[in-house]
Amino acid sequence: MLTEVETGCDFRSLVLRHQATVFSIALHFLRDRATAEEVAQEVFFSLHRNLHQIETPAHAAAWLRKVAVQRSIDEGRRRSRRPQVALADVAEPAAGIRPGDPLLSELLRKLVASLPEAPRMVMVLRYQEDLEPAEIAAALEMPVATVKSHLQRSLALLRGKLARRGVGESEWTG
Amino acid sequence: MDWLEDELRRALAREDPPDGFAERVMARSARGPSGARRWLAAAAMVVVAAGAAGAWRQHQGYEAKREMMLALRLASTPINRIQSEVRGITQ
Amino acid sequence: MKRLLIFACLALAAMAAPQQFQLNLDSVAAKASEHVDVSLNASTLQFAAKFLDANDPDEAKVKKLLVGIEGIYVRHFNFKSAGAWSQADLEPVRAQLHGPEWSKIVGTGSEDGEKAEVWLRTSGNKSVGVAIVATQPKEITVVNIAGNIDLETLSELGGHFGVPKVKPADKPKKEE
Repeated sequence: MLTEVETGCDFRSLVLRHQATVFSIALHFLRDRATAEEVAQEVFFSLHRNLHQIETPAHAAAWLRKVAVQRSIDEGRRRSRRPQVALADVAEPAAGIRPGDPLLSELLRKLVASLPEAPRMVMVLRYQEDLEPAEIAAALEMPVATVKSHLQRSLALLRGKLARRGVGESEWTG
Repeated sequence: MDWLEDELRRALAREDPPDGFAERVMARSARGPSGARRWLAAAAMVVVAAGAAGAWRQHQGYEAKREMMLALRLASTPINRIQSEVRGITQ
Repeated sequence: MKRLLIFACLALAAMAAPQQFQLNLDSVAAKASEHVDVSLNASTLQFAAKFLDANDPDEAKVKKLLVGIEGIYVRHFNFKSAGAWSQADLEPVRAQLHGPEWSKIVGTGSEDGEKAEVWLRTSGNKSVGVAIVATQPKEITVVNIAGNIDLETLSELGGHFGVPKVKPADKPKKEE
């Protein structure tokens, strides 16, 4: 029988390998570093209690992602509020904001964090973890059609909000 | 490739947790419960000590709890979806 | 062959179950590929509550939620394909919720075919029960919770109990 180290499922190596994923899911969903760290710790603590159930490194990765999603959503509900876009609080993008501008990244993070719970997590899993809609549907226990609908609507919403701020492809061409 | 999706991937790229995160996790895990195997062993000892009749009642209790948790989970999922829809409408 | 999952009332609890409406959905069960029946009256709930772990945050929340609940009755159905059932199949339940003691407090729907309705049962000025009818193209859930239930706390429990069962074949998308 293989040991945990031999199967790659020893706790320490799992923490080191997946800490960025788990922390980032919580961070991008909750937009609070301290809370994201607490949530991430809880996720790994839960892994430690259930390590005997983990069969392969791939299983561990999927397990951690799913628990990170669940705990982040739970924490978001406990806080009983969504981070506000508060566009008035967001610095006006300087004229000529271009792709790759850190201001644009920051604005997008805030806009994503202002989405309702379900589309917000869909967007995080799509663009942070590069999951396909079917994988997102499995992680969130929702129909694939709902995932796709959340993606389409959220992208359209973001495009509209960015365009109103003078940010968009049409502003960059010509 | 769509520019917005590119920017979203850039904005939502993974970030490392604060320094020392892994050490804090290891330290906390070492303090906490030592894993399901020890818990299961402790539970088995309790059951044996309590005797057969008590063991049966305990089994029934955990079965009742399992069914109750299932019922609540099935009930809470649609309520949660309703809340998400309502929040989406009022955004 | 249909897979049938039935969770019956425990023999040690009284069988009389004060449901607030009849969850007679045999016609739906006949079309379903799976169904779950849970009926838990007050004494069963009290017994089960003794086995909740106060140190587990979810279970502690459940313990608080159970105060004032007199019964939980759930019928849940899964179908192999969309179109296997119709809204008419739920008329026997909805017809009972049109009585004077019930009022619909929320109804939502989405273009993906998800619908959910919540009714409140009142007696005088007190809320004494909740009915939930939730449908998706391949799923139906009907719930009656008798007693005084905190819907906000209930929604916080939404599907997040315990450890998720993830198949070993699940693969991470990105390399760590």
